[in-house]
Amino acid sequence: MLELLKKIVKAPAISGREGAVADVISALMEPICDEVYRDKLGNLIAVKHGSAPEGERKKIMFAAHMDEIGFFVTFIEDNGYIRLAPIGGINFVAAAYTNVIFANGVKGVLVPETGTKADALTFDKFYVDIGAKDKKEAERRVKIGDYFVIEPSVTRLCGKRVAGRPLDDRVGCAIMVETARRVPTPRDDVYYVFTAQEEVGCRGAKTAAFAIAPDVAIAYDVTGTGDTIGAKPMAVKVGGGAAIKLKDSSVICSTELVAALETAAREEKIAYQIEILPYGGTDTSSMQMAGSGCMAGCLSVPTRYIHSGVEMIDLGDVEACVALTAAYLVRA
Amino acid sequence: MKENQLNGIELLRALCLEFGPTGCEHNVAAMIEAQLGDICEIRRDRMDNVLAHLPGSGPRIMISAHMDEVGMMITSIDDQGYLRFTNVGGIDSRVLCGRRVQVGTAEHRIPGVIGAKAIHLQSADERTQTTPVDRLYIDIGASSREEAEKYVDIGDFATFDSDFVRFGQDDRLMRCKAIDDRLGCAVMIETLRALVARGGERPYDLWCSFSVREEIGKSGAKVAAYAIKPTYAIVLESTAIADLPDVPANARVGEVGKGGALSIADRSTIYDPAMLEFAMSCAREADIPCQLKRYISGGNDAGHIHKTGDGVRCLAISAPTRYLHSGSCVAAVADYEHIREMVLAMLKNWDKMN
Amino acid sequence: MELKQRITEMAGLMSISGHENYDRAALLDQLADIFDEVTTDPMGSHICIRRCGRQGAPKILIDAHFDEIGMMVTEILDGGFLRVINIGGIDTRILQAGEVIIYGEKPIYGIIGSTPPHLQKPGDAKKLKPINELLIDTGYDKDELEKLVRLGTPVGFVPAYTELLGGKLAGKGFDNKACGAAAVDALSRLDRAEMAGDVYLLLASQEEVGLRGGETGAAGIDPDYALVVDVTHGSAPDTKKDEAFPLGEGITISLSAATDLRLTRRTVELAREKGIKFTRVVEAANTGTDANVTQLVCCGIPTVVASLPLRSMHTYQEVLSPDDAEELGKLISAFVCDTKIAEDFAR
Repeated sequence: MLELLKKIVKAPAISGREGAVADVISALMEPICDEVYRDKLGNLIAVKHGSAPEGERKKIMFAAHMDEIGFFVTFIEDNGYIRLAPIGGINFVAAAYTNVIFANGVKGVLVPETGTKADALTFDKFYVDIGAKDKKEAERRVKIGDYFVIEPSVTRLCGKRVAGRPLDDRVGCAIMVETARRVPTPRDDVYYVFTAQEEVGCRGAKTAAFAIAPDVAIAYDVTGTGDTIGAKPMAVKVGGGAAIKLKDSSVICSTELVAALETAAREEKIAYQIEILPYGGTDTSSMQMAGSGCMAGCLSVPTRYIHSGVEMIDLGDVEACVALTAAYLVRA
Repeated sequence: MKENQLNGIELLRALCLEFGPTGCEHNVAAMIEAQLGDICEIRRDRMDNVLAHLPGSGPRIMISAHMDEVGMMITSIDDQGYLRFTNVGGIDSRVLCGRRVQVGTAEHRIPGVIGAKAIHLQSADERTQTTPVDRLYIDIGASSREEAEKYVDIGDFATFDSDFVRFGQDDRLMRCKAIDDRLGCAVMIETLRALVARGGERPYDLWCSFSVREEIGKSGAKVAAYAIKPTYAIVLESTAIADLPDVPANARVGEVGKGGALSIADRSTIYDPAMLEFAMSCAREADIPCQLKRYISGGNDAGHIHKTGDGVRCLAISAPTRYLHSGSCVAAVADYEHIREMVLAMLKNWDKMN
Repeated sequence: MELKQRITEMAGLMSISGHENYDRAALLDQLADIFDEVTTDPMGSHICIRRCGRQGAPKILIDAHFDEIGMMVTEILDGGFLRVINIGGIDTRILQAGEVIIYGEKPIYGIIGSTPPHLQKPGDAKKLKPINELLIDTGYDKDELEKLVRLGTPVGFVPAYTELLGGKLAGKGFDNKACGAAAVDALSRLDRAEMAGDVYLLLASQEEVGLRGGETGAAGIDPDYALVVDVTHGSAPDTKKDEAFPLGEGITISLSAATDLRLTRRTVELAREKGIKFTRVVEAANTGTDANVTQLVCCGIPTVVASLPLRSMHTYQEVLSPDDAEELGKLISAFVCDTKIAEDFAR
């Protein structure tokens, strides 16, 4: 699992520019699925047809987003510094003084304007220094409209804990790849959708779900936890098992699906916890609301320090998500 | 050429001056239909979007520009015959006070002015603060509620009432209300005419949507896109350009007169990278100026269109416009022509789009 | 059945957003013999169809959201206390010392606790506690409580109704089940032959958390035109003119750039023709109702909005006048029977 995760994490791909990571995942899914294709918004869709007779198969859609938060280049100053626009919810405290990498491999550092106070760290106070001596040299390496990300990394910590970025939501992608491997002959039609543009408002999942019109949809994403110093009270903790989402700001999960997931977890003795997130949103809502609606839920990986360079998860929770999905597919 | 057919800036002028606040776009729709005449199949959909269709074999392309303009709605009429109102669409309260407006409906309108307490009567605080919209009123000259009610009803609309003025060196700039987005409408009309005149087979199936209700975000373009089911959409818009001395270079978005502004992304959409590349290469080859927006802000109908159905690949080309959403939008005559030529250049080369 | 009874019966059901199915059996009882078909879609909206009996008749949508605000258990504490989070916009001023029902394995009565005065610091009384810091006292031992309640269990207000002067009603859930009840009542009295089309009453889910069920429900039905009915503010000493309306003086019809102008004009005309008591209200760019989404589904659905004045909205003592609900019922009847609208707006 760790090796798989490392492979998927490496490709930089901000919202709307998911091609690089789609290539990696596509290569992983092609050998084990019946059909792999991309749609107009850049979603990567891998289909595994079910073994049940035609007409008796449900359409089950799984979704994890490929995109990560990052930046577009918007302007190059005369002195060669690069101005930017954030894509997705950037935490600028976490983003200050970090190494960044452009899609073409150019490296730089992301820094705030000298003298900027910590409470005034907004995107227009930041620039990237790629070491260019002037605008001309900078323009040879980077142009307006290019994108960059904070450098990806994965570090093994104590036990099964791992820290790095962007675990949000490459860990969800890894769960889906692993599930497809572990359930080679599902009963129902399974659509593994690696979605685009989640970080800017769950856009890709909406059009993908409209096209697929699933009966059941499950999203795989990271969720906040209540187990750090200073965290708001919340029952979810890293290492506590797969988190079955009941609600976040954007969705109230379908109660039937929640019950089915809980039953599967109990019967298979898979560690799980209940997630009630007082904020945030995931592809779950987009899928639930696509077309005339479908039954939707979400399995979350409890994650500390989301949207920083040191997002932290427990591989045990990841394994629980895979096991629970496999158990659900048998019972669906 | 038909006698009443308007072209270029004259067409744009007529469209800008027409009354068409959000939710009351009928007059603009009628003018557009009249200007298009019978050059192609035209229909209105259930939301009053005007849809023009030029059939062809190949991918379906939707071009969209919105007909509506920011305006106001009358909320109540007081005993002295003054009209209280609220904004329809995002208007900075600072541009309201002292403006001439037209009040009424598609069928009939009367002039009025937006008044507020005289400076002599204002407190020290009031003098330095913006008067909020709920303390402003429209004065139509009525001396009683009864008199006002003969001409105006609650729920009636109002728009800025401003003249179309050419100004600046060589008259290169123009000023009017509603340049946002009648400029896009005018480009679509002239594009359709040019394509019909050119004739021949078209490697695409083109739908132009003159859309309603963009300014309040309850987008007519959304339902138009649902019905049209395009593969590609080009949204023609106006964008706020702050090419002003008191704005730092990196926050200026773009420059008036330097061609259509192409968006990489805004708050509602991340635009299709291949379409963006294609648009720039078409402009480059035809030697048409265009620019990339330097700032990520705002949003437009593309935000609805690209998420419609199974998704639509979107591009936005915006006319760089100063003082957007006021009675004095300022844009460059040259940009109108640049955008029109750019759209035509793209359609001409569409076989190279992938 | 009297309208008053229908209102309290429907409002008394448990239908917190996301749990619109909880009392489905009781709802079906209330709808019995009025509709040809009642289905529940994947989002939990109930779609009640009453057909006019003619082939190819237009589909008329009446949207009345069925969900209500409430709470959800987030933590079970020692001593049998619960912590909760809000579902929808609850007025937090009303919570302390309020009565609730916890809809666990069986319904449990609870009281929302408050800190006694002698333990408060100076100034505390001025501050409202956020909902996630309040405690619900159930009187159970934790062990026992955990058998009955789990994280996510919905918590609602006690359905107790009081008749005030002039027949006005006070209680929970009138937003928006009073409008749903008015629609059911009106439709129950209509002769099918009089209806201008097949009526789809959409008792929509999840309006209070973001107009969700109204969108998917309307997309599934794809009607020819729609009337959205919801509550609006009833005037009280602390409300402003133009944003709140006196109880007992009828309903409101929205004038808005966000709804269909022609359909609105015709509906206003119709209300006048039928002598329905109503006021027009300007809601320039946003009606704050399901109409925001209804009209933008599929190829566009011409939509008009009518509202029922309600005092103390989003509390457990919402107050309405059944007379206004009668007027709303009359408008719904007139709307679904109007052949002029049907001719103009049928596809």
